[in-house]
Amino acid sequence: MKSSTLLFKSLAIIIFIAGTAHLVNYLSLTSKSSESNLYWKEHASNSPTSEIENSEVVPSSIETEQDEFINYETDYIIGKWKVTYSSKDFDGVIVYDVKKESKAFHAYTYEYQDRNGNIEKAKKTKVLIIQKFDGYKGEGIYVISYEGKQYDVKCNIDMIDENTFKLSYEYYGYSDVETWKKI
Amino acid sequence: MIDFLSKKLDWLNVEYWFYVLNDLSLVYIILPFFILELIRYAYQKRLTKDLILDSVANIITFGAFFIIEIILGILAITKVYFWIYDNFSLPHLELNWATIITCILLADLAYYWEHRMMHRIGIGWATHTVHHSSPHFNMSVAYRFGPLDAILPIVFSLPIVMLGFDPILVLLSEVFVQVFQTLLHTEIIGKFTRPVEYIFNTPSHHRVHHGSNRQYWDKNYAGILIIWDRMFGTFEPEIEKVKYGISEPLNSNNPIKVFFHGLTRLYNKIRKTKGFKNKLLVFIKPPDWEGT
Repeated sequence: MKSSTLLFKSLAIIIFIAGTAHLVNYLSLTSKSSESNLYWKEHASNSPTSEIENSEVVPSSIETEQDEFINYETDYIIGKWKVTYSSKDFDGVIVYDVKKESKAFHAYTYEYQDRNGNIEKAKKTKVLIIQKFDGYKGEGIYVISYEGKQYDVKCNIDMIDENTFKLSYEYYGYSDVETWKKI
Repeated sequence: MIDFLSKKLDWLNVEYWFYVLNDLSLVYIILPFFILELIRYAYQKRLTKDLILDSVANIITFGAFFIIEIILGILAITKVYFWIYDNFSLPHLELNWATIITCILLADLAYYWEHRMMHRIGIGWATHTVHHSSPHFNMSVAYRFGPLDAILPIVFSLPIVMLGFDPILVLLSEVFVQVFQTLLHTEIIGKFTRPVEYIFNTPSHHRVHHGSNRQYWDKNYAGILIIWDRMFGTFEPEIEKVKYGISEPLNSNNPIKVFFHGLTRLYNKIRKTKGFKNKLLVFIKPPDWEGT
């Protein structure tokens, strides 16, 4: 068999197999995105503090309820976490405050730190809801900003150790992984 | 169907099942099968000293290969794979059934091509000849590896990482293909039913691959699916009784000699080849190529 025939046959097979994987994932993401929007619509109507879709600032006067029940396997995620960003929109560190509310973990912006060490207190905005978390892995909704718009996307959380976790998400072909470090 | 294929899976569960299929298979299928083969050899009065020493050499070469594999594996996975995955990859795929099935299929195709390269380029054959040099055919032969056998699989699996598959899943899939291949190294099983023999690589197909009979040279490279050989023109059915081994037999069970004989032969060939360009070509030309 000619080498060119072997090459084109192989490429066709690879494209077919990998294409199938990406197609299934795309269809899955599309359906999940619809579910996610539905989730937020329902959630927004039930809770006064969860208006992430419109990126509304949570008034500091509305203090979130901390659950009295302590789960030692998962609650270590509560506290301040910092994430370093390096993009044209923001170059520096954002500190988030993770709280436990209604059996889910919610992260709020806490403060901004630029490369020169300047610190600015952030408006308390909810950016993440961790809906499932077993102490090692979790799933939730993360708010990403793009060209001034806010999008809520499904995200995954993978604990590297008790002081670090990876937050990964994918949204219509755009994907990213953030490293959250405990302060 | 789409719902099932796209259902997100938990990494812990997936790693557990690969652990059962890959790692534990040694305990619940490979070792018992090897013991069965030894009993069969004894019953047939073929359990010779040569066969036992050959099996011991196989296990020792595996130990040496495993050390190299671990070092390369850790470097490849932690550095190269993730660097490629983070910088030169299509959108990352979620962990679901579609991703796992397609990843195993691609790992199997990659295995076919790296295996074919191992046979058809000089440096590849210098290491892979170790695996083929045993005049016997049993489960222990599956563990007979050459010193550089871990390199080509890494090179050939990188494109899978670039296609958006998680490096760990790619590694697990590669090991799965290798474990499947291990189970084919037996004379106990004859032939399966025709549909199975048509689609899957079987002990019969793999016996052909290990044959030193002229018509069996460079045939049946497949890992799990024999359809790759059928598609790429390298399929050969088992008809004539297979004579195992290589065209120039090694005639030694010394593990060091076994492990390094391919590289030694390559070195001698390079020494004998005239001209610098020809010496370099020995590395990439087929093993039977003689410099002009």
